[in-house]
Amino acid sequence: MSAPSNVASYDRRDLRAALRNGSFTLHLGPFSHLVSGASEPLLDFLSDTYRDYSVELTPSDVTDVLLRLEAPNILRRFIRRQITPNPGFKVPAVPLPLSMSPLAFEMGLNLSVALKCCRFINVHAGVVADKDGAIVMSAASGGGKSTLTAALLQHGYRLFSDEFALLGLDQPLLHPYPRPISLKQETIPVVRDMVGDNWISKVVTGTPKGDIAYYRARASDLAQDKTSAKAKLVLFPKFEKGVRPIARQLNPAEAIMRLVPASTNYSLLGEPAFHAITGLLKNIRAYEITYGSTIDSLRLVEQITDQKLV
Amino acid sequence: MQKSALKQIVGIAPLPEKVMDRIELVRNADANHILGQMASANTSDVSDRLHDIFRNALLRAGHDHIMLQFEINRLEHALSGTGIEPVVLKGGAYVARGKKAAGGRRVSDLDILVAEDELEEVETRLKEAGWSPDEATDNEYDQAYYREHMHELPPLRHAKRGTIIDVHHRLLPKTARSNVDVALMQQSAMRIAENPVRTFDDVDMFVHSAVHVFADGAIDTPARSLVELYLLYIELSSDDALRLKTRAKAVGAIKAVSTALWAIDEFFDEDNALALSNEALAEKPNFILRWAIATKTLERPSAPLAKLLLYIRSHYLRMPLRLLVPHLARKAVAWRPTTKKPIELPFP
Repeated sequence: MSAPSNVASYDRRDLRAALRNGSFTLHLGPFSHLVSGASEPLLDFLSDTYRDYSVELTPSDVTDVLLRLEAPNILRRFIRRQITPNPGFKVPAVPLPLSMSPLAFEMGLNLSVALKCCRFINVHAGVVADKDGAIVMSAASGGGKSTLTAALLQHGYRLFSDEFALLGLDQPLLHPYPRPISLKQETIPVVRDMVGDNWISKVVTGTPKGDIAYYRARASDLAQDKTSAKAKLVLFPKFEKGVRPIARQLNPAEAIMRLVPASTNYSLLGEPAFHAITGLLKNIRAYEITYGSTIDSLRLVEQITDQKLV
Repeated sequence: MQKSALKQIVGIAPLPEKVMDRIELVRNADANHILGQMASANTSDVSDRLHDIFRNALLRAGHDHIMLQFEINRLEHALSGTGIEPVVLKGGAYVARGKKAAGGRRVSDLDILVAEDELEEVETRLKEAGWSPDEATDNEYDQAYYREHMHELPPLRHAKRGTIIDVHHRLLPKTARSNVDVALMQQSAMRIAENPVRTFDDVDMFVHSAVHVFADGAIDTPARSLVELYLLYIELSSDDALRLKTRAKAVGAIKAVSTALWAIDEFFDEDNALALSNEALAEKPNFILRWAIATKTLERPSAPLAKLLLYIRSHYLRMPLRLLVPHLARKAVAWRPTTKKPIELPFP
């Protein structure tokens, strides 16, 4: 048994062996993840995008997530190799070519956390925080959430998550789960320009969701992955090309009614989830912001938070 | 699933020391849908991380239990004024009675039992209250088959809540080779508090569970079924345990009950159960049946053969050949690969 250490500190051969044995254990935020299924594309991805993440090669305890990356059938283990994520329950996952292993890995972890880990209320939203508290950004796919998250990271915010707002059941606190930020299609060059090529993974092309790349989380954000925060603002961003930037304040009821359908487990948790979401919105404001460029979105956040960003 | 795993799940053997073994046990319990039962039974010697995982499972079960209580409430409402006092069966009964077997158990459907001559009124009332035939069986053949040969109405699904209710009038199909005396069991069912809804008493709950597992079906969820029987058994008072034999004889379920007692001894080393089983039994469950149950449960290499035997046995018990052959032929012709509905996720 070894103490957790970051991925970069391990030999590739040892990482491969651990993935093969199914003893590769990733620790992040409140969760631990046991992953099996070695492939070269996955190892490339891990040693790049996950270089600063804390990993054990033999688990020291049971884990929240049990993810197997495996071939859909025996033929696809050898010929035109394919891979599917198996989180231990039935998922509607399409087999992907082996070169898309990073996507299978990310999808598998997302499904596991979204559907299995119900000791947090799980809201599909990006979350960043500074010393005053966290900004929760909930948007439909293509709403520009990832770009705004990436932009706020360049202006004094730390990453909680781009996908999951994890809200405590007992206290309305948000818990960091700083996985890499998944970038789709046209957001890839936008974020690349913003943060530099160094921070963006190899682009996985031709996936069922188009081109996908990952923006690596910073070591400083990972170092604070156990430090929870209260929310200070809830945003519903909407990117529309060429639109005049506008912020519309929502009353708490409206904000709650929008957060509820964005949650993967609200109806399962019921009453405590209701109290947590109302608790989250207590004494803070919620806005719908519509904008046509990243700079506009930052200016809107400046206005709302009364804080100099750009 | 290993025999030791079953004991660890119900908390009568210490959890494995090695981390990988613990992980495998949790994976196994989850895959067999008894992680919640494991969580309820194992409350000490639990690391923070294991506690977290158990909490997930208990939260899920908690949701099911609230849903179920509400469904019972809606059922009472739908039947109010009719004087009908349905008996809630299985999971619903365990939850309503706060049995050990309910702890952490996931429940999806509400199963109820009414007298055969009450069926029509119950169905009408439920339909008025928003239940309608479930899509999967809402075709002429299935509807007719259920009504003619089965022990229950075709499943009814609530249009708004999506929950399923199975209305039984017997515990085994009408066509079954031997049937239990359901009227006798209904007579001794007891009300839950002041409500018209009833459950069996502890002895009959065990009897019904045994019948369900060993006299009907192919023991498709062996680990879950055995854990349920074990938990019901250990909650029987010593008087109840002694009453089992006479009761099982009286209602015509002696074979199923003694097989259940044998299994409880076999998998959980409950010597008392074996003693009862030996005493109850004119004939022990035969060697082949014991072999098949053990092999399927423990997932030994010869499990496929055991499964096949149990499958054939289940049909042998359920219906005579003159019904079975046309039924299977019809099913084979009508068979379509089930379409997998993707899970709706609020993220891309």
